[in-house]
Amino acid sequence: MRRRNFLATALAAAPAASLLSGCGDDGDDGTLDYLSLAWQKESMEANKALVAEWNKRNPQRPVRYVQGSWDSVHDQLLTSFEGGEAPDVIHDEANDLTDFAHGGYLADLGELLPDGLRNQIPERTWDMVRFGGGTYGVPFLQEPRVLVANRRLLDDSGVRVPDTEDPWTWDEFEAAARKLSGKGSYGVAWSMKEPVNQSVNLSLTTGGAVFYREDGKDVVRFDRRDSYVAELIHRQVNRERTAPRGSLGMSGSDTLPGFFSGQYAMVPLNFSYRQQVEQQAPDGFEWTALPMPAGDLGPGSGPTQGMSPQTLSIAQDTKRKEDAMAFIAFLTQPDHMARLAAGDWIVPTGRKALRDPALNTRKHDWRTGIGMSEDLRASPVLGVRGYAEWKDKIATPAFQEYYSGSIGLDDLRGKLVEDGNRILARYQR
Amino acid sequence: MSATTTTERPAPRRGTPPPRTPSTRKRALGLDRDAWFLLLPALLPILVLSVGPLLYGLSLAFTDAQAGRTEPTQWIGLDNFASLRFDSLFWDSFRVGLVWAVSVTALQFLLALGLALLLNQNLRFRWLARTLALVPWAMPEVVIGIMWRLVYHRDAGILNSTLRDLQLISENVNWLSSLSLALPAVIVVGVWAGMPQTTVVLLAGLQNVPHELHEAAALDGAGTWRRFRAVTWPALKPVVLAITSLNFIWNFNSFGLVYVLTQGGPGGETRLPMLFAYEEAFRYGQFGYAAAMGMVMIAVIAVLLTVFLRNRLKEADQ
Amino acid sequence: MSSLSRTCGRAGQYLALLCYLAFLAFPLLWLLSIAFKAPQELGTTDPTWLPRHPSLDNFRDAFDQQPLWGSALNSLLVATSAALISVLVAVPAAYALVRYRSAVSKAATGWILVSQMFPFVLVIIPLFLVLKNFQLINSQFGLILVYVVWNLPFALWMLQGYVRAVPASLEEAAAIDGCSRPRILFSVVLPLLTPGLVATLMFSFVTAWNEFFFALVLLKSPEKQTMSVILTHFLGAEGAADLGPLAAAAFLATIPSLLFFALLQRRLVNGMMNGAVKG
Repeated sequence: MRRRNFLATALAAAPAASLLSGCGDDGDDGTLDYLSLAWQKESMEANKALVAEWNKRNPQRPVRYVQGSWDSVHDQLLTSFEGGEAPDVIHDEANDLTDFAHGGYLADLGELLPDGLRNQIPERTWDMVRFGGGTYGVPFLQEPRVLVANRRLLDDSGVRVPDTEDPWTWDEFEAAARKLSGKGSYGVAWSMKEPVNQSVNLSLTTGGAVFYREDGKDVVRFDRRDSYVAELIHRQVNRERTAPRGSLGMSGSDTLPGFFSGQYAMVPLNFSYRQQVEQQAPDGFEWTALPMPAGDLGPGSGPTQGMSPQTLSIAQDTKRKEDAMAFIAFLTQPDHMARLAAGDWIVPTGRKALRDPALNTRKHDWRTGIGMSEDLRASPVLGVRGYAEWKDKIATPAFQEYYSGSIGLDDLRGKLVEDGNRILARYQR
Repeated sequence: MSATTTTERPAPRRGTPPPRTPSTRKRALGLDRDAWFLLLPALLPILVLSVGPLLYGLSLAFTDAQAGRTEPTQWIGLDNFASLRFDSLFWDSFRVGLVWAVSVTALQFLLALGLALLLNQNLRFRWLARTLALVPWAMPEVVIGIMWRLVYHRDAGILNSTLRDLQLISENVNWLSSLSLALPAVIVVGVWAGMPQTTVVLLAGLQNVPHELHEAAALDGAGTWRRFRAVTWPALKPVVLAITSLNFIWNFNSFGLVYVLTQGGPGGETRLPMLFAYEEAFRYGQFGYAAAMGMVMIAVIAVLLTVFLRNRLKEADQ
Repeated sequence: MSSLSRTCGRAGQYLALLCYLAFLAFPLLWLLSIAFKAPQELGTTDPTWLPRHPSLDNFRDAFDQQPLWGSALNSLLVATSAALISVLVAVPAAYALVRYRSAVSKAATGWILVSQMFPFVLVIIPLFLVLKNFQLINSQFGLILVYVVWNLPFALWMLQGYVRAVPASLEEAAAIDGCSRPRILFSVVLPLLTPGLVATLMFSFVTAWNEFFFALVLLKSPEKQTMSVILTHFLGAEGAADLGPLAAAAFLATIPSLLFFALLQRRLVNGMMNGAVKG
């Protein structure tokens, strides 16, 4: 913390410092802090059990389980990084790592990774955590977006039920939504409280990316392949009325009551939401998880989705990086990874974990997510400096206005590209 | 506990009020030893934990400080303020912030005044009513946000379902995601959350209204409204000014609730300036720019408050 | 005035009061209702006030999943200490600020206002570094100190008003007897301030009890964390939440503050009375 030295020295000189020391315990008491964001009962239990197991096997390098929350993890990490008091092993999401890695707070894992772990996870998944020439996390869990559908309405409508071998095309999806719509009910409810990640990640199905690298710089483009899915959603809400305007301001879980009551036949949700669906569904309600539609705009399009996986990282300030890495390797060895994935109702990244019998079952449509794992690619937004600002200031309001029909495609493109590139340029001087 | 400080002092002359006691005592900054003894326990922590960090935070406004330790920080003078002048998004959020702060403060005051007048009556179960009136104060902010999100929920919210039962609406309303309703909807939550403090302070002020004057006015045949205007209001006015100005500052500076409710959406309609500054600092790591925003906000609030309180300040000077 | 119109007026007052309380207290009832509902009932589009199949499962889950007792005790410790220390420190300071007119009191008043205006997000990191220098990270004492300083502006603002309300003549008498300033404060003024102290205590307690961010970043050890931080552990990514247990825990978390209010409301009202008017 070079620039804060003047403050620090001024205060270190205060005589009170010596009087007050001893009230706080020193961070480096030989224990590694593991900040975990597990929050559902089963995954919390799985995490704690694994930590206990590690501690039993490695009494000389104990790990302490520290509970964090997705809601506040970024602020918590930023403050503790700046203050030099960060946890040693950090559970987070790839999207959140960009700025921390750039700021020099995360250790480059390149040299530390044991071969077993490196080979276990496919290259396309490692791409999700590589930016600026380093590897800043171990991607261990990922969740594709799926269409959770009302089984009865689906069967009654007579539409073809897709699977991962043969997903719908976007056209088929649009037609199915039409068939599933009726008086006072809608074929699909798009939850667009956070519209940006979804819109960008789904653009990969039609060969788009929104974020491109040109001459070593990140730029935004929003051409036909990038905007195809967004246009479709806009059409469903504003022209065909097969999707309700009312759900646009909702988060994923907000759409569930309407889904259970039959108002919405399908809801695009992250894979882990199945747990909530299973818990809250009324007795006798049958649901199924379908793969998201695939693009058919020729080469480059298909069932591919952009992904920002959950990660385990090591703080740069940690003195015992080898121990931290050993602990991460322990958490992500195939059987453990599968256990964590099962606890979170989410897809693991490791090849062996993906074959775990507990996950390869028809129950709760686990197979849909497992089957989609091959089609998950690094989200184009990963590693883009300034993405957060672009998203909050430009893209979120612009997409919200576009989907609700108050601006048209040209306006949307203008905002995303022109205003957007101005913001990105500031970060890449 | 202060026995040691009582020795060796000339006895004060008869009739001299304590503040004007002898000038023989040593003074620093106009305060004697006793005064410092009383002040220091508060001043020390304030200097170290509040004034220090605050001045440091303010000084960042003239630097390009960023999160991370890869880029050195430099003094850049007024550059941040120059960029801020053309930051139309910031000024948009400023407009939202003013609408929010003025409406929340005004409604808070009016509703709290009504409630305080009622709680000042000799009603049954007054203790229960007073306790229940403080409920919003007792709930943590995150919980308040989540509760209200459930209340406003389009499909499963108790608000829509109640309005439907009363046949006031035929179709469910999107309270938090409609461009025109989102700001009013969050303002209601803001008023709700801030009412307890205001009510309690006003209630306290009301108890100080001289009872005899009230009775005399009633004997003169003055109606309720006249009595309020002539007797209650003058006694209450200083409290009203004090609490509304503080409320205004607090409301202008609050963003936690709105963040949980709408995250500034839809389309930036509920993007409060403090939320803007928070995101600038904590999401994008632009500490310097965020500090400049903070300074601009202080300046604007200070000007507004001076206008609002100009009469009071004049009185104080005289 | 006829007794009929008086009765009507009374009825109107009760009605108005009822409306107010319905507005102010209904989220608490809604919280209570959710706390007793099964997950299936939370996903319905036809919500009811009374749970159809009330159960205590959510309470049990909340206690199973998170250390509620421990964190409640931590919160109690932190909030009570912060409130007591705030008052102990603020009373003499407020007294001195009122009774001695000097540059310091002007600067203090200015600071009270500015400190309320500046974005607190920008103070967090420097404050964190200061505390680190005193080795007060991950220490409940450090958190208490932060709360004390955080509460001081409001406490000073309010207490100054109460002190002004104490007649100077009382103090003169004591001064004549040769009492020092601190002595006068503690033996003469302090007893008259009791209601104001209660009000300040309440404010400081509630603020500390509810505060989230400092508690989150300053306390790393799970066994030291406070209730407001524990509550967020029921939240997941993208607005998902374990609603039932969260509601149960949140309801329990509001009870101490409400009890506190119920016990002190009478004194609070009488207390604010003297101070605020002159403030």
